[in-house]
Amino acid sequence: MIASGRERGFMMVSNILLIIFAIVWLMPFVTILLSATRTQGDLISNGVFSIPKSIRWENFVDAWNTGGFTDYFKNSLLLILFKVPLGILIASLAAYPLAKMQFRGRGLIFIFFLIGLAVPVQVTLQPLLVMMKDLGIANSLAALVPPYLAFGLPFQIFVMRGFFRLLPNELLEAARVDGASNTAIFFKIMLPLSLPALATLAIIDTLATWNEFLIALVLISGKASRTVPVGLLQFQGEFSSQYTLLMAGVLISILPVLAVFVFLQKYFVAGLTGGVKG
Amino acid sequence: MPASLLKFFVTVSPMAGKHARVIRSATPWLFLAPAVFVYSMFLVGPMLFTLYTSFYEWDGLSDTMIYVGLRNYIDILFNDEVSQLALRNNLLWTAGAVTIPTLLGLLLAVGLNSVSPVKKLLRTLYYMPAVLPLISVGLIWGWMYNPHFGVINVFLRAVGLEQWAGGWLSSYSMALPATFITYVWSHVGFPMMLYLAGLQAIPREQYEAARIDGAGLWSTFRNITLPGLAETHVIVLSLAVFNGFRVFDLIYTMTYGGPGRSTHVLGTWMYFQTFQYYEAGYGAALSWVIAAIVLVVAIPYIRRMSRD
Repeated sequence: MIASGRERGFMMVSNILLIIFAIVWLMPFVTILLSATRTQGDLISNGVFSIPKSIRWENFVDAWNTGGFTDYFKNSLLLILFKVPLGILIASLAAYPLAKMQFRGRGLIFIFFLIGLAVPVQVTLQPLLVMMKDLGIANSLAALVPPYLAFGLPFQIFVMRGFFRLLPNELLEAARVDGASNTAIFFKIMLPLSLPALATLAIIDTLATWNEFLIALVLISGKASRTVPVGLLQFQGEFSSQYTLLMAGVLISILPVLAVFVFLQKYFVAGLTGGVKG
Repeated sequence: MPASLLKFFVTVSPMAGKHARVIRSATPWLFLAPAVFVYSMFLVGPMLFTLYTSFYEWDGLSDTMIYVGLRNYIDILFNDEVSQLALRNNLLWTAGAVTIPTLLGLLLAVGLNSVSPVKKLLRTLYYMPAVLPLISVGLIWGWMYNPHFGVINVFLRAVGLEQWAGGWLSSYSMALPATFITYVWSHVGFPMMLYLAGLQAIPREQYEAARIDGAGLWSTFRNITLPGLAETHVIVLSLAVFNGFRVFDLIYTMTYGGPGRSTHVLGTWMYFQTFQYYEAGYGAALSWVIAAIVLVVAIPYIRRMSRD
């Protein structure tokens, strides 16, 4: 491609700016690393940007144990293992008729679900708490599953409907001619062909479930059922001036999501943009 | 419902005349049933219940509910200074959320729209903050803003700008802007990704034609790139309003509404009213103010998403 000298100069300046800006963008990560891996004395007297006198990995062990992260991790992982597949299954079941069947009320029911994309969590919190108390599951991990499912459905139904619509109708017709029921078509054709979309939704939902704070804050008060964000905040309340320990705890809370993102970002980004583009 | 049971109820309907197949059986609704149940029971139902309680004075616990009509809403809009401040903070925050991360995201997308491995790495770096739990983000930045040992003040002192160093999150004038900077850090990645996807949908031929016509970088950007992103703008701006108006986690962790009550937004003020002061009726009205505003803004977005 031919580019004038002026354009080439512009490109070079913009690339340099992009890199400088990226370094600034990384500073918070550098800050946590430099804060979490040294002694509090070293941090206070020499400042964050000095080279640590010695690397103190014990901070992570201390943070993990004093913060009680074993429980929080167990809870968050259990929640993800249970909620994510269940939510995606329910959403896919709903997306199948919305994508592939003609029936009265189809447009309306789709809009009914889409409205959920804009609903702020706050508008459901108090009734949810009352409900969970009545059901006798307030303060247990189980209380989080129904609202997490409900708030996840609109986006997931939207994405799955979009994906199902791309699957050729001839495939379904051929299966019908062979005598396959809708259930068989859904489980044996639609779902297996949708693995890329399902994988993307699973990753997005795993991150969203790991990160969710407000619903967990309201519905969970006991230590035993806390998820990672609520537990981390509790930890911060107790050790707010132990900066090294606190940053070790923060690093513990973000490492799993960073790992999921960095290793699986191919699926993540494709589905995210594809999904919203529709 | 187990698959075998589902199969029992589900029937394949015959072709209905020439209108393709309009299914008259219950089949579609059986597939929809679990989602409709969960969504109605745990999202729509609670939402309507909140609308109902917003017309009452209620502590959220007892059986005593006193009907007060629109009083809660009138108090929010005209009498409660904190609510008014929270609404104003929400509007400022949303105005910022709609412009700054969006513009930065657009610039980054245009600058990084290339297959080179360096740019791919840069895209990953810029997107990384967007996947973190906002609670962790708030704690990281809370530490960076620490008046004594935080990196920001350490840096300002090191470069001789000592008079600028201060207690960022405890200052009435700086707490909200400082928290907003954190919001920008964590919310630039998403619009960037959406714009990158939008850019890839613009046909390459348009750029080549512009080049042949001798159009410069700026005129190409203004006449091809920006109009080509019209669809993306709708999505990005709508999501910015949703996220801007629903902000909670960052304010809760970084300022807890303080200093005083100066950094409350409707979301945090609603939480305080409902779960700390036991004014559930008033909190319900606050939550419906957020919901009403966001839902109105969402109409064009939802219409676009539901288009076939």
